[in-house]
Amino acid sequence: MIETYDLRKRYKDGTWALNGISLVADKRVTSIIGRNGAGKTTFIRILSTQLAATSGSAFINGLNVMGEAEKIRKFIVSIPQEAAPIGVLTPQELISLYLVGRGNSLQDANRNSKIAMAELGIDEFRNRPTDTLSGGTKRKVFVAMAIASNADFIFLDEPTTGLDPISRLEVWSAIRKIEGKIVLTTHYMEEASELSDMVLLVDGGLVLEKGTVQELMARFDGKVRIEGTMVEDPDLKIGTTMIKYVNRQDAQNYVDLGNAAKQVSLDDVFITHGVEIES
Amino acid sequence: MTFSLRTVLKLNLRFILTFAWYYGFRTIGRGPSYVVASMSAPLTLLFLVFILSHGSLLGYAIVGGFLTLIANVTLQSSGDAAFLRIQLRIQDLFVASSMSSTDYMIGLTLSYLVFSSPGIILYTILGIALGVFVPYGVAVLAICLLLLLVGTAAISFIISGAVAHVRNVWGIAGILSVVMTILPPTFYPYTYIPSYALYGLSLSPVTPAAVLVQGYMGLAPVMPVMWVVLILDVIGYYLLARIMTKWRES
Repeated sequence: MIETYDLRKRYKDGTWALNGISLVADKRVTSIIGRNGAGKTTFIRILSTQLAATSGSAFINGLNVMGEAEKIRKFIVSIPQEAAPIGVLTPQELISLYLVGRGNSLQDANRNSKIAMAELGIDEFRNRPTDTLSGGTKRKVFVAMAIASNADFIFLDEPTTGLDPISRLEVWSAIRKIEGKIVLTTHYMEEASELSDMVLLVDGGLVLEKGTVQELMARFDGKVRIEGTMVEDPDLKIGTTMIKYVNRQDAQNYVDLGNAAKQVSLDDVFITHGVEIES
Repeated sequence: MTFSLRTVLKLNLRFILTFAWYYGFRTIGRGPSYVVASMSAPLTLLFLVFILSHGSLLGYAIVGGFLTLIANVTLQSSGDAAFLRIQLRIQDLFVASSMSSTDYMIGLTLSYLVFSSPGIILYTILGIALGVFVPYGVAVLAICLLLLLVGTAAISFIISGAVAHVRNVWGIAGILSVVMTILPPTFYPYTYIPSYALYGLSLSPVTPAAVLVQGYMGLAPVMPVMWVVLILDVIGYYLLARIMTKWRES
């Protein structure tokens, strides 16, 4: 279980990346979703003991991430968003080295890394230097590393960024098979919807909302999103881009006026908080 | 970064050796230029000293080359340490695991020592073949190399932890390489320079190591006080590394 209390982070340049996050997250897969600069990576780096918080506190399974980092590090794995493999090492060497560092024997490390790579469909690349691999395959190497670790808590910072749609599905499939708890950050609403038991919507260093996808979407039950400009409706201002949520049975009236009717998604939760979503 | 008896006893030797095996030994074939680069400066200077001194300073150049090789290679590792930390984010990956900063540091240093092993073999052959090595001197050389390794590794980690951009570290390592390994009396007798300059140059642990090795190899008068200087250098840089290098970012 993750608990945070008024967690704040200020960088040396004066930027406040986290502005007081307090939450309890105890689901199997928790997704943190938000725009670039929302504070996702800072939050995950503090939780995974890579970065010190400015104030507030955070606990994983009751252990303080600031004071008991060494104990926490024994059962977590964290894959940084910008992690890139050491180019001269092969995926097999890189993953095995990491696992040996975590306390595995070399034999176990080799076996577990092979199984994880096979699961992600990158087994054929395991003996090639990683600098000869595609960007997507390199990303998968790190996901394989997380899977092979068999850690209780896995932090994945944007695990599918840069992957093609098929590779993304393969990573999702692998993530679903992981037994430990997972905290992942993502830009993709679809990914959060597909994988998460709990979603944290983050913006400006704050959690705007949290809950299961169903809970967050409950307000939109039976509704569609109407997007348009220049419509004759007293509720909408002419000449501005506007969004309105209407009952599905009323949507046709708006479409007949030249507006677009769209299926609601997690994007809309952000929109209701005034966060601009680029389409 | 901590270094105490407790951390030494808790070392993950399996990780350190695997690191050195994968990152040091196995990658020699994938990037042999590192091996050549580590030997190029000391061998070039050896050649120059031989030509300019008509062979009379060859003994100094051989023992000095030995020290230069180890110090250079370890200082150059700062570039890799910074690259792994800033560019590849590998240090972040290791921080969030049960791995310790000491395991990581020793593993990386040992990998670089592996790169320099062909040079060590070559200098050993030269030292024996040209009759420079004496048994007692070889023992002193081995101790000095070990202390030098620790001292320069600490300097290397101070640099890699302090730079914000990878590009800076290549320049700093290059400058330090020259200042710390070529200016000190590695390729010439330490008696050529006044004692105040000798102590000034002792900011580099290469200087006391070179003075000691020259003395115990019978090339110059023995100067035992340099043991104290060398040990103080090593402890000082280690403490600095401990204070300045942060495993977890703040």
